[in-house]
Amino acid sequence: MGVFDYSREALDNLKIDDPGILDRLVDFEHARAVHLKKDRSKRDKRISLKEAVAEFVQDGDVVLDTGFGYVRTCIQSHFEIMRQGKKDLQMIGAPNTNQSYMIVTGSVRYSHNSYTGAEMRGTDRNYTRQLKTGKVRILSEWSHGGIAQGLKAAQLGSPGVLSKQMLGSDIVKYNPYLKVIHNPLKKEPDPSLFIPALYPDVTFIHVQAADKFGNAYIYGPTVNDLAGAAASRKVIITAEEIVPEMDIRLNKKGSIIPFFYADAVVELPYGALPGSMPGYYYWPRQWWEKLMRFSAINEENIGTFLDEWVFGTKDQIEFLEKLGGAKWMIEARRQTKAAEGDNEDIDFSYQEYTVNNDPGIFY
Amino acid sequence: MKNHAPANPLEILAYIISAQIKDNTIVYVGTGLPMVAGILARKTHAPNITMVYESGGQDPIQGGMPWSVGGPFTWRKSPVIMEMAYSFGQCYNGYVDIAFLGFAQVDMYGNVNTHMIGNDFHQPKARLTGSGGNNDLTSLSQNMVLVGLQTPEKFPEKVDFITSVGHLRGGNTRKEAGLPGNGPIAVISQCGVFDFEPKTKRMRVKTLHPGMTLDIAQMCTGFELLKPQGEIPLTPMPSSDIIEILRTEVDPGGVFTSLPQA
Repeated sequence: MGVFDYSREALDNLKIDDPGILDRLVDFEHARAVHLKKDRSKRDKRISLKEAVAEFVQDGDVVLDTGFGYVRTCIQSHFEIMRQGKKDLQMIGAPNTNQSYMIVTGSVRYSHNSYTGAEMRGTDRNYTRQLKTGKVRILSEWSHGGIAQGLKAAQLGSPGVLSKQMLGSDIVKYNPYLKVIHNPLKKEPDPSLFIPALYPDVTFIHVQAADKFGNAYIYGPTVNDLAGAAASRKVIITAEEIVPEMDIRLNKKGSIIPFFYADAVVELPYGALPGSMPGYYYWPRQWWEKLMRFSAINEENIGTFLDEWVFGTKDQIEFLEKLGGAKWMIEARRQTKAAEGDNEDIDFSYQEYTVNNDPGIFY
Repeated sequence: MKNHAPANPLEILAYIISAQIKDNTIVYVGTGLPMVAGILARKTHAPNITMVYESGGQDPIQGGMPWSVGGPFTWRKSPVIMEMAYSFGQCYNGYVDIAFLGFAQVDMYGNVNTHMIGNDFHQPKARLTGSGGNNDLTSLSQNMVLVGLQTPEKFPEKVDFITSVGHLRGGNTRKEAGLPGNGPIAVISQCGVFDFEPKTKRMRVKTLHPGMTLDIAQMCTGFELLKPQGEIPLTPMPSSDIIEILRTEVDPGGVFTSLPQA
């Protein structure tokens, strides 16, 4: 028998008869032991993305989706995980939009679900289909804030937090990790939700700049990544640019992930594609519209789409060529700079993807 | 060239949402119409509001319409961008006055579903996004306003999955579950504006949009709507000046306020 006393109601509702599968995410002792054994030396950790995925992603790992859905998210690392045929991963994240296409090829088998979708691009019909055919099993339901608090609890160095989120909702009935208890300091009953500290196995974080040791600088929303980096057993930093350590020390004040969390550093320009990267590139918006409105609607379309964009490219450079190459790069940089700074003279309008209007170049 | 066309339903909705916003408040917005409404409020009756977003951006200097809640326009030139846990923490700590969100279903007690349609979790008719920040904001914000289309399927007596607790089973049950804040104070649809009767916490008609009748609103609802005492007031409509501001300054590209072309 395991050491964790999961919510019986949630296990039954989720039809989980092998609760051991839930342990790694909350196994603090194991995560601490892994952290203690990490090589502390300040050494050059640069390797290729292929090497990083091969070495640090094991079948069955709990993977944290980082950034914000498709903002500074390590999507090219997800694609490499798929290309290498990694299997049976558990995906957690707030949001975890990107698990959907990873289910199709069997890379993701289990979901700790908070939000799977692309906002106003419409419902992700691929996810519905994968769920119904049993290709993905939901192991726990969360709100965004619940996952944020679980990762933050790990970063704080706490077994968990008491939260006022999710109380009374059906999410609690579909999450074996959550327990309603009462605030012990209140005389009157005061229901509060215990959220355990969350410890993913492996986390890829795409950043604007990192040094070769793994000090990593984030510009724009950090979302849950500072906490995720502190919690995760294995951390791979992928960066738009590798910079000297002194540049981080002197110029990159703000959101920094310290080098000793990092197991590997990958120089990976355009590593957030097809997401956006603050300071570097705007979204290929039509790519997401095509995925959600055309490719996600049936098994054949999604297969063709993944064959073309994931398995038909060997790296992010070929992916970039397919999007539109130099012409795309120039426009995407112009748009993100304008959106972050002064956009008065820039036109952000574009033609949305429709079945009858496949633009070939994806702005 | 001035566009004198009468306000379309989305423009009217944006105006009605904006009317919920008081000046000098902190407003938590999602993308889409709520964001249009926030900016419209700032340009009209509420110039001193501060907008906060779930990806962490807050108090941005207004740019264009964001394509995503994590997009640059939600943190454009922001003095600070919060981590997600702290952004929701501000709601719990009493720094957010009002929040606006959508729904797939809302029931007679203002409980929200964004998880699934159907009654089998493992074989849903449709699996939807899941909570995202919907539960967090509905649980924590002082006042919640829900915005969406009204049909009997989207306004059932009981939602298929309680993603976010509104007034739970009515009466005092929201508080008894341990939740802070007032929960949903208004639901805004194409039919009218609805509030919740203070004792039972059941959904009640507050105002109807011009051209709507109680019968039509009831036909669009899967449960019995409560009626206020006396005559039901009409929802105030935007003046032509406000529509002009909406079209020229707030959403000039019509990203969220133009009707889809057939």
